[in-house]
Amino acid sequence: MGQQILLLIQILFPVAAGCLFFTAPFRKGRRAGTVFLFTVLLLETVFAGAGAIMDTTSVELFCITPEIRLILCNDGLSGLFCVLSSFVFLTVGVYCTGYFAGTEKKERFYGFYLITLGVLQGVGMSGNLVSFYLFYEWMTFMTVPFVLHNCTRESVRAARKYLFYSVTGATLVLAGIFLLAGNAEGLRFGAGTLNPEVKEGQVFAAAVLLILGFGTKAGCFPMHGWLPTAHPAAPAPASAVLSGVITKTGVLGLIRSIYGIIGTGFLVGTPVQTLFLSLSLVTVLMGSMLAYKEKVLKKRLAYSTVSQVSYILFGLALMTPAGFSAALLHLVFHSVIKSALFLFAGILIHKTGKERANELRGLGKQLPVTFLCVTFASLALVGIPPASGFVSKWYLALGALSAPVGFFSYLGPAVLLVSALLTAGYLFMIPADGFFPGKEYSPERPEIKEATPSMLLPLIVFSAAAVLFGIFSSPFCEIVTKIGTEMLRL
Amino acid sequence: MNGIMAVRFTADGFRVFYALLAAFLWLMTGLFSIQYFKGHSHKGRYICFTVLTFFAVEGVFFAADLLTLFLFFEMMSFTSYVWVVQEETVAAVRASKTYLAVAVIGGLSMLMGLFMLQHAFGSLTISELQSHAERFLNGEGGNFGNRRTYLYTAAALLTAGFAGKAGVFPLHIWLPKAHPAAPAPASALLSGMLTKCGIFGMLLVNCYLLSGDAAWGRVIFVLGLVTMLIGAVSALFSVDIKRILACSSVSQIGFITLGIGMVSIAGGEGPALYGTVYHMVNHSLLKLVLFMAAGVVYIHTHSLDLNRVRGFGRKHPVLGATVLSGVLGLAGIPGLNGYISKTLLHESIVEQIAHLEAEGAASGLSLFRTAEVLFLVAGGLTLAYMLKLFIAIFVERGEGEQHTAAKSMTPLSGIAVCGPAVLLPVLGLTPDRIFAEIGGVAEAFFNPYSGKKGVKLSGIAWLSAENLKGAAISAAIGILVYVVVVRLLLMKKENGQRVYVNRVPSWLDLEDAVYRPVLLYFLPFVCAFFCRLCDRLVDGAAALLNHTVLAPRKKRLSVWVGTRLTHMLGTAMDMLVLLLNKTLFHKHPIKKSFVSVFAVSELEARQTFSLITGSVSFGLLLAATGLAITLLYLLF
Repeated sequence: MGQQILLLIQILFPVAAGCLFFTAPFRKGRRAGTVFLFTVLLLETVFAGAGAIMDTTSVELFCITPEIRLILCNDGLSGLFCVLSSFVFLTVGVYCTGYFAGTEKKERFYGFYLITLGVLQGVGMSGNLVSFYLFYEWMTFMTVPFVLHNCTRESVRAARKYLFYSVTGATLVLAGIFLLAGNAEGLRFGAGTLNPEVKEGQVFAAAVLLILGFGTKAGCFPMHGWLPTAHPAAPAPASAVLSGVITKTGVLGLIRSIYGIIGTGFLVGTPVQTLFLSLSLVTVLMGSMLAYKEKVLKKRLAYSTVSQVSYILFGLALMTPAGFSAALLHLVFHSVIKSALFLFAGILIHKTGKERANELRGLGKQLPVTFLCVTFASLALVGIPPASGFVSKWYLALGALSAPVGFFSYLGPAVLLVSALLTAGYLFMIPADGFFPGKEYSPERPEIKEATPSMLLPLIVFSAAAVLFGIFSSPFCEIVTKIGTEMLRL
Repeated sequence: MNGIMAVRFTADGFRVFYALLAAFLWLMTGLFSIQYFKGHSHKGRYICFTVLTFFAVEGVFFAADLLTLFLFFEMMSFTSYVWVVQEETVAAVRASKTYLAVAVIGGLSMLMGLFMLQHAFGSLTISELQSHAERFLNGEGGNFGNRRTYLYTAAALLTAGFAGKAGVFPLHIWLPKAHPAAPAPASALLSGMLTKCGIFGMLLVNCYLLSGDAAWGRVIFVLGLVTMLIGAVSALFSVDIKRILACSSVSQIGFITLGIGMVSIAGGEGPALYGTVYHMVNHSLLKLVLFMAAGVVYIHTHSLDLNRVRGFGRKHPVLGATVLSGVLGLAGIPGLNGYISKTLLHESIVEQIAHLEAEGAASGLSLFRTAEVLFLVAGGLTLAYMLKLFIAIFVERGEGEQHTAAKSMTPLSGIAVCGPAVLLPVLGLTPDRIFAEIGGVAEAFFNPYSGKKGVKLSGIAWLSAENLKGAAISAAIGILVYVVVVRLLLMKKENGQRVYVNRVPSWLDLEDAVYRPVLLYFLPFVCAFFCRLCDRLVDGAAALLNHTVLAPRKKRLSVWVGTRLTHMLGTAMDMLVLLLNKTLFHKHPIKKSFVSVFAVSELEARQTFSLITGSVSFGLLLAATGLAITLLYLLF
C-alpha cells in the first residue's frame, strides 16, 4: 500500500505545489519562492529515485468503463524516465532562479513548471495507453504557457503553432488508439499485448498513426515544425526542458505503443517498419542540415534536437534489443547534452543579448567557463570519444548493422555519421570562434562577466555529465539492457 | 552491452620505440620553446595542450585495440588544433578550421570503418585482426554479401582517416596551411610525430587487416607516388620557409606511403619494410631539426619569407651546419640518414621490377618502371627545393643580414636544435648498427611478414656502384632543376635584386578551388534546398488551408444592400406578411424580413451572373450552344 501511495505522491505532490505557487502569499517573496521551488524539486527527485528502486507495483486510480481504466505502474522504463525528468527539472530549476531573477511573472512560470513535472511523472508511469494519453494531453496544455511566457507577438504565434501541432498529433494518436482498442484488451502495456486474433490492417494503420502522432512530439518529420518555432520564443530554461524532456515523451509514447502493445514481432519486416526507418533517417539528415544553415542559436539548437531525437527513433525503428538499448542510451545522453546547450544559449541571451551564432566571436575570452562547458557539450553531441554521445552512437550503429533491415543496415550508420559531421559543423564553430576570434577582432563591447553561480552551476553539471556519462557508461548500459529485456521479453 | 570505454594498452618493441622517439621529440621542442615563446602571450595554453597532445600520441602508439587508438587519435586531433590556432592570426584561424575539418571528416570515416569491423569481427584487438580477417574471408559469421568488398570498404574508410592525418593526397591540404601558421615547435611536432601517427594507423591496416593484399598495396603505392610528386613540386614553388618544409613533409610522407604499398606488393619480402620504417624515423628527426631551425630564423627576423630572411644565416655557421645536415639528409646524399632509407625504398622498386621481369608478367611492369623514374625525380626535386631554402638563407646576401644578433640560439635551444642534427650523420654512417636494431624491433611489428625472408641488412653494400648511381642521378636532377627552374624561372629582378616569386597561380589550390566551394557552398545549398522543402511541408499545407478553405469569411459591411426595386418589393412583401401573421398564420408567424431576402438573392444572382459570364466555361457553353444551333439548322 505504501508503495502505491508513493506512486500517487510522485504525481500529485509537484502538481499541488505548483498550484500553491499561483495562490500562496509567500510566492512574491524573493527568497521564499526560490527556496520553495528548490525544496519541491529536490523532494520530487528523491521520490522519483525511490519509485525507480521500488519493485514493480501498479495502482488502479479509477475506471471510466470496465475497458477504460486509469492505471499507474512503475516498471524499469518509467523509473528511468521519471529519474531523468526530475533530474533535468531540478538542475534547470536552479538555473531558473538565476535566469528569472528580478523579472515579472516568474511565479506563473514556476507554477506551470512544477505541474508539468508532476504530469511528466504520470506520463512515465502510465500503465495503459488511455492513461498515457490522458497525461500526455495534460502535459501538452501545461507546457503551452512555457512557450507563451514572454507574451510577445512572436511567442503567442509560436504557442499557437505549438498547440496546432500538438493537437494534430494527439488527434492522430487518438485515431490510433481507436483502431488499436479493438485489437488489444485494455490497451495495457507489456511486451506485445495484442489479442490472439487481430485484424492486421487495423493494427498496421494504428501503428502508422501512432508513429506520426507521437512523432509530432518527438519532432519527427513531417510533424516537426513546432520545434524551431517554439524554442526561440520560449525562455531558455523552458527550451531546455522542452528539448530535453518533453520531446522524449513522444519517444516514450512510441516505445509504449509500438513495443508495449503492438509488439516488435508483429511489425518487423513490414512496410510500417520501413516507413518508420525512412522517416527517422530523413529527419536526422534534415534536422542537421537545417541546423547547419541556421544562424539564430536557439533555432539551430531546435533543429539539432529534431535531428538528434530522430537518432533515438531510428534505434527504436530497428526493433532489435540492441537498437532499443542504444536508443534509450541516446535518450538519456541527449537530454543532458541538449539541456546544457540550451542553458548556454540562455546565458548568452541573458548576459549579452546576442541571439545569433555568428555574433559570439571573441566572447570565449570573457566567459571562459561558459564556453568551456559548451565545448564539452559539443564534443559530446558530435560523438567524440570518450564523451557520452559517442557511446550511444556506437551502439546505434552496431545495432543498425546487426539488425535485419537490409539496406538500412548500412544507410543508417552512414546517415548518422554525415549528420555527426554536420553537427560538428554547426557546433564546433561556436567555441572555436568564441575562443579564437582571429587578430582582426577587437573587443569593443563593455566588459562582460561570467553568469551568477545559480546559472553557471547547472550548465557545469550538465556539461560534466555529458562527458562523464560516456566515460562511466557501464551502469547506463546495464540499465538500458535490463529495460530492453523487459520490453522485448527475451 | 557493457561499457565500451575499456582503454587497453600493449607495449611491444616497435610501439615502445616510437613512443620513446615521440618523447624525444617533445623533449627537444620543449627545450626550444623556452626561447621561442619568450614574450609571447598564451604561453600557458600552449604548454597545456602540448602536454595533452603528448599523452594522446603515446596513447595512439600504445593502444591495444582500434577503439582505444581511435579515442586517442581523436583526442590528439582536437588538442593539436589549439597548436594551429595558437597565434590567432587570420591565416591561423583559417588554417585551423581546415585542420579541424580534415580531422573531423577523417575521424568519422574511421568510425564507420570501426563500426564495420566491430560488426564483422566482434573484436577490435589489433593483434587478433589478422586471424579475424582470415576467418571472415573464409566465410565465418553472418551474412555480409561480398566479403572482400566489405573488408576493402572498411579498410578504405579507416585508411582515409589515417591518411588525412598523415597528409596523403588528396587529404594533404591542411599541411601547407597549418604549418606556417603554427608556432615552430608545434610545426616540428605536427610534421615529425602527428603525421607518423597517421602512418602508424595505415601500417596497422596494411599489415594486420589486409596483410599481403597486393591489389590493396598497389592502390596505396599509387597514392604514395602522387603524394610524393605533388608535395615536391609545390615545395619547389613555395617562397615561405615553413611552407617549403610543410610541402616537403607531404612529399616525404608520399615516400613512406609508397613504401607501405611496396610492403604489401612484395608480400613482406625485400627491403621495402625496412625502408618504410627507416624513412619514418628519418623524417621525424629531419623535420624536427628543420622546423626548429626555421623557428630560430623566425625568432630573429619575424618573417618566414625567403626574400625577407635572405642572408640571415651568413653569420651563424652552427645553424648553417645544422640545416645543411638536414638538407642533405632529406635529399638522400650518401653519408646521411636519408640515403639509407631512400636506397632501401628504391631497391625495393628495382627488385619488384626484376621480379616481374623474371616472371615475365607484363601487367604492372610499366607502372613500376615509371615509378622508379618518378622516385628518382622526386628525390631530385627534394634536393632542389632544399637547396633553394639553404642557399637563400645561408649563402646569398640580402635583407636578412641586417639582423645582427650575436647569438642566434640560447644554450638550451642550441642543444635542442643541434643535438638531433648530430644524430643524422651518425645514423647515416652506421647503417648496420642502429638501424639494424630498429629494423629488428620493427620486424616483429609487421606481424604477418615476420619470418619471411627479409633482407639481411649487414649484407647490403651501401656504397656499391648501383646504389650510389641512384643517389647520383637524383642529385644530378636536383642540381639541374635548381639551376634551371629555381634560378631562372622562379626568380625575377626587382629593384636591381633578384627575388623569389611564387609562380603558382592562386586558383591552383585544391582546397580553395574544390573542397571549400563544394563542401561549404555547393553541397549545403543543394541539400538545404531539399531539406527546406521537407521542413515547410506541413507548415505550407497549413498555411494553404488557412488562406483557402479555412479562411474566415469576410464581414459584409454594406449598409445598403440590394437595389431600390428589391427594397420596395421587400417592403411590400413585409407588409403583406405582417397582415398574414396577424390573421392567417396566427399560430406560426413568418419571422423573416423579405427586404433582406430579396436583397441577398438579387446580390447572389448578380454575382453568379457575373461569375458565369466571366468564366471560360460560359464562353465554352455559348460556343457549344452556337455550334448546337448551327448543327440543328443544318439538320433541319
